[in-house]
Amino acid sequence: MMKDKIWHLLSRKLTNEASEEEIQELEQLLSENPQLREDIVRFTSFWERDPVTDREYLEATYYLHCSRMEKQGIDFPSTDDHAVTEEGSFTVKHRFSAKLFLGSVVVLLIIVSGAMVYFQDKVKEKQFISGENVSDQQEVAKNGWSEGKKTVITKNGQNEKFKLPDGTQVWLNAGSRIEYGSMKGNGNREVVLTGEAFFDVVKDAKRPFIIHTAKVDVRVLGTKFNLKAYPQDKTIETSLVQGSVEVFVKDRPGEKFLLKPNQKLVLLNNNDEQVSLQEPVSARNSANLPIIAIKRLSYSKLGDSTIPLETSWLQKKLLFENEAFSEVARKMERWYDVEIHFMNQYLRDEVLNGDFRNESLNQALDALRFTTDFNYKIEGRKIIIY
Amino acid sequence: MYEDEAAYRELFFLLFNPLTHFATSIVQSKETAEEIVSDVFIQLWKNRSGIDQIADLKLYIYISVRNLSVQKYKQQHKKKTVSLDMLELDIPTTDQDPEKLMLFSETYIRVQQAIELLPTRARLIFRLAKEHRMRYKDIAALLHISVKTVDNQLAIAVKKIASAVQFRSPKKK
Repeated sequence: MMKDKIWHLLSRKLTNEASEEEIQELEQLLSENPQLREDIVRFTSFWERDPVTDREYLEATYYLHCSRMEKQGIDFPSTDDHAVTEEGSFTVKHRFSAKLFLGSVVVLLIIVSGAMVYFQDKVKEKQFISGENVSDQQEVAKNGWSEGKKTVITKNGQNEKFKLPDGTQVWLNAGSRIEYGSMKGNGNREVVLTGEAFFDVVKDAKRPFIIHTAKVDVRVLGTKFNLKAYPQDKTIETSLVQGSVEVFVKDRPGEKFLLKPNQKLVLLNNNDEQVSLQEPVSARNSANLPIIAIKRLSYSKLGDSTIPLETSWLQKKLLFENEAFSEVARKMERWYDVEIHFMNQYLRDEVLNGDFRNESLNQALDALRFTTDFNYKIEGRKIIIY
Repeated sequence: MYEDEAAYRELFFLLFNPLTHFATSIVQSKETAEEIVSDVFIQLWKNRSGIDQIADLKLYIYISVRNLSVQKYKQQHKKKTVSLDMLELDIPTTDQDPEKLMLFSETYIRVQQAIELLPTRARLIFRLAKEHRMRYKDIAALLHISVKTVDNQLAIAVKKIASAVQFRSPKKK
């Protein structure tokens, strides 16, 4: 009888239903029955373990839920809007004065779990990132080399080779943008890059060459290297072919990473977290990846083994080895100037190999289907993978 | 709107699985259950401007899911009236397949066995309290039972499961 009282009190305590007196009573009963204490401690830790949830499954389910709403003609920020916010530009299509909804849900979330903290973090992160972009431009203006500033932009499906005023050769990959000044006088040679470019930098010991991107700055004297810094990619990679470079990661002031030839610095691009609907797989993977890693350049096991995979785009090749479908899709989007959407979220995880040069998009996709079980539909510039 | 959507999304992520499990216990089909939960969430979005009138949003959503599930059950079984007592509700655990998670410890197995051996009603109440983190009065409202019953049934469940977690092997004694 008295022992049963213990279980009532314990149950109430665990469910936050117990009063102060009841908690004291439980303590009292436990000191009279020390043999139960161990069981109860273990049970309590079992109780407090939250059920494990499958985030990916939920992402997919939520996606389906949103499409159901769309089909019913309900005004809702559609999944396309996520693609818009992914770019960082908040073109919110619908406006509502439904702050009350937000308020109530926020209260619930705080009560039920720490989910809101997570949400707020994401918002903060977003602000942080856009803040960085702004500071880039300010920096450029401050150094006074914005006079005679030029911008080269490549669209998806294009790339461009040109010389900077100091003689440095630049190959600009698809969907990228580079800004540079006149580079006259004694000031630094500086450029701002979004996307991917290969640089063959002319030596000038007195004037370092600096490339600014959203997340890293790279400082060099004279070298050949590739810098991949697409905002939407999972990683930012600085790959060194010749010479030496110093990489400064903006999130880590005071630290400097020195690369040797054939090495690359891989920095995890945290943008994944905020667009996790678009990127459930890599969002999960990124939890296990180091934030910064120095790796060796990879050489193809299939094709030309003298050219690192990292610079294969210079040979007008679309080359990938053991890469996740989600990453390959990004490359194909830029290569073929298309949009790729995954209807089956699990396919993002599939590991693919490919070596394409003049193949059409259909030929490339058909080739990939030899090794991986998926279907595709082409609707104009949109490719649906399912 | 964007902020609303973000909050709505978090709420969906938080409640979708537990609600689907709860609905499954009534309609006996995961597909139907998911549809029900999705429908309830669609209604929630449509009615979001009035949502500040609702004192307990979580209970409100659970009851909506319950009502829609019972309605579906009636349609499927061509029954005019259904009471929750008749349904022998049994919620599957919201924990994922342990094999996938490699959570196969001896304790884990013993706890799961103990839960399976509970009477249906005690198991249901236990899961609502532990996995769904519901309050006594909410469980009572949801299942049309008294708070006293919740209190008693949960104590039975906790006693049985806690005895299963114990270190010492019972045979040794």
